[in-house]
Amino acid sequence: MNVALAPRPSVVTLEADPFVTLNGVTKVFGHGKRAMTALEDMSLEMARGEFVCVLGASGCGKSTLLSLIAGLDKVTSGAIEIADGRPAVMFQEPALLPWLTVRRNVELPMRLHNLDPDQRNQTANRLLSMVGLIDFADHRPHQLSGGMRQRCALARALAQDSELLLMDEPFAALDALTRDSLHDDLNRIWQETGKTIIFVTHNVREAVRLGDRVMLMTPRPGRVAQIWDVDIVRPRELDSFEVSGLAHEITAQLRAGAVIDGAK
Amino acid sequence: MERNRLQRILRAAWPRVVAIGILLGIWQLLVVVGVQSPGGEPLPGPGDAIAEIGYLVHTDVIVPALVQTLERAAIGYLLALVLGTLIGLAVVRVPVLRAGVGSLLAGLQSLPSVVWVPIATLFLAIGGQIENAVYFVVIMGAFPSIAMGLMSSYDNIPPLTFSLARSMGARGPRYYRHFIFSATLPGYVAGMKQAWAFSWRSLMAAELIIGSTASSGLGQILDNGRSLGDLPEMFAALLTILVVGIAVNDLVFAPLERGLLRRRGLVPA
Ligand SMILES: Nc1ncnc2c1ncn2[C@@H]1O[C@H](COP(=O)(O)OP(=O)(O)OP(=O)(O)O)[C@@H](O)[C@H]1O
Ligand SMILES: [Mg+2]
Repeated sequence: MNVALAPRPSVVTLEADPFVTLNGVTKVFGHGKRAMTALEDMSLEMARGEFVCVLGASGCGKSTLLSLIAGLDKVTSGAIEIADGRPAVMFQEPALLPWLTVRRNVELPMRLHNLDPDQRNQTANRLLSMVGLIDFADHRPHQLSGGMRQRCALARALAQDSELLLMDEPFAALDALTRDSLHDDLNRIWQETGKTIIFVTHNVREAVRLGDRVMLMTPRPGRVAQIWDVDIVRPRELDSFEVSGLAHEITAQLRAGAVIDGAK
Repeated sequence: MERNRLQRILRAAWPRVVAIGILLGIWQLLVVVGVQSPGGEPLPGPGDAIAEIGYLVHTDVIVPALVQTLERAAIGYLLALVLGTLIGLAVVRVPVLRAGVGSLLAGLQSLPSVVWVPIATLFLAIGGQIENAVYFVVIMGAFPSIAMGLMSSYDNIPPLTFSLARSMGARGPRYYRHFIFSATLPGYVAGMKQAWAFSWRSLMAAELIIGSTASSGLGQILDNGRSLGDLPEMFAALLTILVVGIAVNDLVFAPLERGLLRRRGLVPA
């Protein structure tokens, strides 16, 4: 497998054959009278190396969508295709293993894939420094704050070194400053590695700052409401004129459709 | 540093000291009010029992018996550990076994282990050789706790942990090592702790009832005391049995469990 984060050309062109394809994906939970359609007829094509942000109200099926793409749950109908590899998932909850230290948690995916200890150690150090947890490497998850746990989970997801990275509201629990610096880091990693990223968020500006495209979902059942291409040069600033402008437009759309509560 | 440690030990010890004090106080009270056996023998007090232990040590009776009993306990417990672990793993790995074996284990666990004694005596205590019969009773008493501990802690693994393992592509031995084994460890250790209590209890039942002059343990000293009407000896044996049960729990299993839970942030440090 690849050495974690080895530089790859950061081409973000739409290729002829997509990397991720959702074709009429529908997900129904339960049966009969209790049946609840969480997702309905969702279709999307993503190019290799693309960064797509998913916006939508609470309960509209964003986490469900990610777990279907991750192969953790089965679609009711439709199909999901990923060109190759297994996606790395950053769950909505940190999902750290309480019996492992921060370092061990980050090293876990590399252990599972049999990387040699030197390489493991190096990669863990680099990722832990990046998320600002190097001084907490020997702590256990219960000794961390909520935001620190999220950052640890981010480092672990990156350590998995998958081509496809699925992130479920990864920065929701962070303060503005930390979030801003992790935006920079994520943007840089994405450009250096050419990873394909699906990033779920409630924060419209965050979506505009990070994504090549922003997909808005409608609730109950979850469908694709609208997709925006974000043609703003990178690196982007959260409070730049362009980012604010598009965020405004998307927010207005949200309000109009009343598809998100308390949009920022 | 040293003083701190001493203080910590004292702080941990005093509730126990108080509890033991109360127990001995009640015991002494019964002696003072003049409780007697129907045969008219007075109830020996804690002091008498301790003095008797000293005497039994001196006459080289109690130490060999203690060693014999502890050896039986250790062997029986280890066998139960192996059997319980194998059955627990089987139940965890083969879902069909879950429902049936699960309720069977719960049933076995609620069975007083003394019910196995007649069967063990009949089938296994052949020609004065009681060891196999004793092991059988101990195993039957202790293994369900181990298997149940493993099974219920597996059932309590959060679904997210399984999702995580799958999303990381963990399979085969690595999956068991990095996820299942670690996740079930606290429940397994809790089962081990409970199994100790059960095996000690079963062992005493077995020693008391099966009995044998050839190789005697603490249970036989107790039974000896009864048959000879030697009340101090009985109480000396009883006290020793109680102390060993508590000591193994407090010195081995309780710290093991507490350390494990503390490292995971499940109890305050
Ligand atoms: N395992 C399940 N069984 C039944 N219903 C489920 C299950 N998982 C999710 N749902 C339902 O599917 C819908 C979408 O849930 P999902 O977790 O995907 O929402 P979400 O968009 O991620 O919300 P949030 O932003 O609050 O995280 C919800 O109505 C939820 O009740
Ligand atoms: Mg969600």
